[in-house]
Amino acid sequence: MIQLSKNYSLPERQEESIPIKVVGVGSAGSNALDRVLLDGMDKDDLIAVNTDVQSLASSVAARKVQLGRSSTHGLGTGGDPELGYQAAIESADEIRQAIADARMIFICAGLGGGTGSGAAPIVAQLAREAGSLVIAFATLPFSFEGKRRAAQAQDALSRLNDIANAVICFENDRMGDMVAPKAGIHQAFGVADMTISQSVRSIVNLIQRPGLIRIGFDDLFAALRSQNGRCLFGFGESDTDNRAHDALTQALKNPLMDKGRMLSESAHVLVQVAGGPGMTLSEVEILMRELGRHVRDHTQIVFGTAVDGKMGNRLSVTIISSLASEDSIATQAARPAPEPFLAPPPAILEQVEEPPPNIDTVPEPEVVVPAQPAPSDLISFAQPATAEALPPAPAPSIKKPAPRLIPPKKKAVVEKEAKPPKEKCVQAKQEVMQFEPVTRGRFEKSEPTIVEGQDLDIPTFLRKKVRVK
Amino acid sequence: MASGDLIVGLEIGTSKVCVVVGETRPDGTLKILGVGQAPSRGVRKGEIVDFETAMKCVHEAVVDAEQKSDVMIRSVYVAVAGGHIQSFNNRGCVMLPEERDEIDEQDVEDVKINAREVSIPAQNAFLHSIIQHYHVDGQDGVLNPVGMLGEKLEADFHIIHGVRTRVQNTIRCVKELPLEVEDVVFSALAAAQVVLTQHQKNLGALVVDIGGGTTDYILYVDGAVKQSGALAVGGDHITNDISMGLRIPMARAEKLKTEEGSCVLGNCLPGETILLKDDSGFAGKEIERETLNTIIHLRLREIFELLKRTVEEEPFINYVGAGIFITGGCSLVNGIDYLAGEIFEMPAHVTHAQTMSGLTSAVENPQFSTAIGLLKYAQAVQVDRPRRGITRIFGRFFSGMR
Repeated sequence: MIQLSKNYSLPERQEESIPIKVVGVGSAGSNALDRVLLDGMDKDDLIAVNTDVQSLASSVAARKVQLGRSSTHGLGTGGDPELGYQAAIESADEIRQAIADARMIFICAGLGGGTGSGAAPIVAQLAREAGSLVIAFATLPFSFEGKRRAAQAQDALSRLNDIANAVICFENDRMGDMVAPKAGIHQAFGVADMTISQSVRSIVNLIQRPGLIRIGFDDLFAALRSQNGRCLFGFGESDTDNRAHDALTQALKNPLMDKGRMLSESAHVLVQVAGGPGMTLSEVEILMRELGRHVRDHTQIVFGTAVDGKMGNRLSVTIISSLASEDSIATQAARPAPEPFLAPPPAILEQVEEPPPNIDTVPEPEVVVPAQPAPSDLISFAQPATAEALPPAPAPSIKKPAPRLIPPKKKAVVEKEAKPPKEKCVQAKQEVMQFEPVTRGRFEKSEPTIVEGQDLDIPTFLRKKVRVK
Repeated sequence: MASGDLIVGLEIGTSKVCVVVGETRPDGTLKILGVGQAPSRGVRKGEIVDFETAMKCVHEAVVDAEQKSDVMIRSVYVAVAGGHIQSFNNRGCVMLPEERDEIDEQDVEDVKINAREVSIPAQNAFLHSIIQHYHVDGQDGVLNPVGMLGEKLEADFHIIHGVRTRVQNTIRCVKELPLEVEDVVFSALAAAQVVLTQHQKNLGALVVDIGGGTTDYILYVDGAVKQSGALAVGGDHITNDISMGLRIPMARAEKLKTEEGSCVLGNCLPGETILLKDDSGFAGKEIERETLNTIIHLRLREIFELLKRTVEEEPFINYVGAGIFITGGCSLVNGIDYLAGEIFEMPAHVTHAQTMSGLTSAVENPQFSTAIGLLKYAQAVQVDRPRRGITRIFGRFFSGMR
């Protein structure tokens, strides 16, 4: 067993890790970078891009790009997106260099100001030209910052939407809800940064972590497909005894989640559950079942799970989804034909749209290990993973077994996850049709208690058509 | 034997009849001498449906209490509950005569009567009219206007009323025993007297008394009752749901609810089962724990959500600072505070009667909150008025209670 885990070692890990860069544009962006670094990202992956030299100097990023040396002279843009745009065009070469070797670019920007609104779309465009995938994290200003800023932010957002592969948009107003009214204002902004950082980190993990059931770009884009819509994002982590429940609760508490209420309206939900080697199937099952209550029966749940030795006792849940805004369809139709360099990404989107939403058929080049899984693998994996968990190289040691497990695991979990909703759907319909009189049990002879049109003496589970047994 | 004034509280609940005997000490404290109880039959959803049987049960409980506390019980305070109980807020107003500008006690009496002059359904009777605040010439929040100067005196009252005949049924059941009925008290009002401290009433608190057959609630803001009422749903419904959902007898469902049930979902392993033993001790049916919890959860969630919608019809819930206090037998269900907290989005606590001396084991059981609360209520109103007897019922119900 130990041999097994020794066999699977470093070289492949390198193969799999995708070079990424996180670019913070403007001062809001570099604040977010600070947070991302604090949360454990590699410093070398961070790039700060700003017009304001002072803010740039205080940034923690390893690589810094000053925009518009001649147009702004090291000062800020004074809130003028046009100036930010000019500055970015001027320094396009430098930006290009900085992001050259990354396959995936995350852009963090606070929209509404000059640099963020003006330069972020340019950075995104340059990244796309270089052939990278671009995911933008944009914050919209607090509404008290004024309508002008809001309009600038919306403008920049729609441009980002056109260019980037995916845009995850945070409304600062909603972040504010998370903070106690008496907390200092820095805390309110801090929460916004923290949420961004969390999402960067979890999306990076989502894509990089060796998954038992992998989540790829395609899944991610499918979940974020409705552009212009509201992005729902939740992340929770817990190491308590009841960690599955706690992590999910925490994820649903995210300000972008609206306590999970929003989930019921989305058609695509992407969920990744990650944990240390000690994560059990039943935990995942409990969690998914609980999540199932928040989504509609026909919602497509794209489910992924990953085991990462670094997680230790913790278990984390990432939920990503989006709500279509009413005008999004119209916008999509009206969007100008993509320039040549924009061609590949839409292809990806279409590709995802085309195949019937079946998790098993999702192409996952990096994970497909066709080796037939011997049943003994299951046991051999489970045991060393829990028993060993060697601190020096836990992740690689588990990495290879993971892909090996894919086929059986998928059957075990995915089918379970995929089927119950359908079953439920049918069930509900059947029960609507039943004509047998509903009984009231011991309250048969007493005066009925009818509130809001419902006879409360009839068991709740019967009225709500929840199947027990 | 008791040395001070004897006070006896009687609650005819859906699942049990409970009698608490207490005495007021000269120093104003209240000591519990004994608690008598008997399983209740003939009561559904807080109302008597089988007069004879219910009377027997009350008798049993009273005898039990007499034995335990070693006193003779002659008169009792009776708690009433039931879905028929309703409430509203009303403001009374009197203008002072021109030649006088100091408010005296007669004016206060007048404004109370004035506040009562509202129409309630013909078959209903007033149970309580509880003073919230006085206003003198538009000045808010006056607690005692006597002696103040002003031209116009207004008073906000919270008025609780119920169907006359149903309340009378309860009274008659006690009178036939025969026992004197000192007063009838809405059960949540009684419970709130011992569950909440004055400080919590001032902060604002929602007391939810979930008993066997009814869920009664009362909401305090600024030390005054703002909302109250009852839902005819309670612990019995949970038991009934379990019994029907799992196809097991009521008695077993009740046992399962109290011993194994929880209203928090996702806490048990998938496929975890509870083995039911049949009467002979052999292994019988297996029940999935999650199923049991789901049934309980759905029912309690519905009760709380219904309650939330009801209290949200008025704005007072937004001023509740101390949180929700859950009491009554059903509050013993595991995780109920967690569920209530989640639904109401404020802190929720399971509580029992506080600040009593005597039999502490009785005090610490949330099942007895209402009956013990009756003593506290009685003590409070007796300070206001020396004993006057039964004539008061359906007569004047203005008390200095808060």
